[in-house]
Amino acid sequence: MERKKKEALQGIIYVLPSFILIACFSILPIFMSGYFSFTNYNVMNDPTFAALENYAKILKDAYVADAIKNTLAYVVVTVPIQTILSLVFAAFLAYKMQNKTGGFLRSIMFIPVIASAVTAGTIWRIILNTDGGLLNNLLGFLHISPVNWLGSTQTALISICIVAIWKNVGYFLVIYYAGIMGISKNLYEAARVDGATNIQQFFKITMPMLRPITYLVVTLGIIWSFQVFDLSYQMTGGGPGRSTVTIVMAIYNAAFKQYKMGYACAMAMVLLIIVLVINAVENLAFKEKEAK
Amino acid sequence: MKKTRTWTPLSVLGMLVMVLFAVICIAPFIYMMIMSFTQSTTLMLHFDEINFTDFTNYSYVFGKSGFLRALTNSLVVVISSCLFNCIISSMAAYGFEKKNFPGKEKLFKIYLATLMIPGQVTMIPVFIIMRKMGVLNTYFSLVVLILNAFGVFLIRQFMESVPDELLEAAKVDGCPEYRIFIQIVIPLIKPVLISLVVFTFVSSWNDFLWPLVSTTDSDMYTLTVALSLLKTQYQTNYGLIMAGAAVSFMFPFVLYIFLQKQFVEGIALSGVKG
Repeated sequence: MERKKKEALQGIIYVLPSFILIACFSILPIFMSGYFSFTNYNVMNDPTFAALENYAKILKDAYVADAIKNTLAYVVVTVPIQTILSLVFAAFLAYKMQNKTGGFLRSIMFIPVIASAVTAGTIWRIILNTDGGLLNNLLGFLHISPVNWLGSTQTALISICIVAIWKNVGYFLVIYYAGIMGISKNLYEAARVDGATNIQQFFKITMPMLRPITYLVVTLGIIWSFQVFDLSYQMTGGGPGRSTVTIVMAIYNAAFKQYKMGYACAMAMVLLIIVLVINAVENLAFKEKEAK
Repeated sequence: MKKTRTWTPLSVLGMLVMVLFAVICIAPFIYMMIMSFTQSTTLMLHFDEINFTDFTNYSYVFGKSGFLRALTNSLVVVISSCLFNCIISSMAAYGFEKKNFPGKEKLFKIYLATLMIPGQVTMIPVFIIMRKMGVLNTYFSLVVLILNAFGVFLIRQFMESVPDELLEAAKVDGCPEYRIFIQIVIPLIKPVLISLVVFTFVSSWNDFLWPLVSTTDSDMYTLTVALSLLKTQYQTNYGLIMAGAAVSFMFPFVLYIFLQKQFVEGIALSGVKG
């Protein structure tokens, strides 16, 4: 009994430092954010209670509406494309190029992952420059007239999506590759004996076996994509017009440019709710499939 | 598994796609390096203008724009973050995995739940808390947020493989508790710690939003913030901006070259177990 108590005490001591930090900088702030979202607060003066005023304002704010619309478009474009590309590339590299060349290619494809979004945004902003940018130069060789990639409301958001995909594929490819290596070879042997083609094997063995990993890749992809900020801040600053403003950029501007902390917290709560709801829906969808 | 039917037209096409994608992945960085050695303020690359022995852009970046200070800040923050995260996370993981206390698994579930919370949601209250504490514009504020449940989770998974009997035997031999942790557990979990260091290094080095909002004193800017400012200050001095980008890219890149296996294993580990 004495021993058990001692062990419990030791356990608590080991866990305590992390608990204090997580409580102070992760759990408590959620409640504070919730509280501030019902107030007007400019940091200098004490918060004053404002009931649902901030939330009502969000519904009417065209800037926020655009931010939500852009972020949703960004998620809908990047997540499926980066998931499919990383899965297909990982499968090809695992089945056809399990050699030095394949390993080398995988190493190179991971390089965009280690660069910061700010670095990537800086480079791509120059590559996508309308007059003389590398991409328009290359297109010029194919007699395609220059595209105003980041300067036009038509193409700015899609350009950012493409850069995001370029940056993320390597990360998810590594996760998928490890998953594929974990699938038993016997399954493929059996399928081959039964005369299944490579494509059939991919759809009937590889994809179903990777479902838990796909769940992870999609979840991470969605959560990260909703937080997009660095890339559009660095590449377009939200423009042209409001065409690349994201939810996090709207939060940043409200909180740290206009010092409307209460309003920014309300937006942050909306972001949290969106992320949680999507996650719950996704959980249900995956669990249902698992049950079948 | 060598088979004769590997070389179908489809697989040749696939290989070409792989090579093409790899080129697209690396080309922007090569372009960055080349541009950083030109003085041109137009984007047309004139190959006679490229001079790889001319470090004008680099010396200008370091000399004039507070970049050296930002680089120092980033290095201090990143190294402290790695140490801090490893120590606190492995302590917590040890407490969760090898000790029993009431409410342990419930608390662990709460830890995992906090991983779902986007950092931007907690950022404003954290800013307010740190402002009240008077620690904005300090290394503390840039380091302390690195701790999250991910490290605890990652190490705890790995610690399952540390045999309880070993710790029990050490205890019987009269080894004090703190020495069991430091001298037996820590060396055994070294592989996962290296993965966590790699993770922490990259995420701390590349962090942008928090340093952007929390540092108002330009002496405390980190490299990402300095690079972002460089873009605004020197709009069309592309060579200079690319030199800044190259500096910020170089450190994680060199780490990647040396610890490639750990980078990949760390990510694969989080994927397979997650």
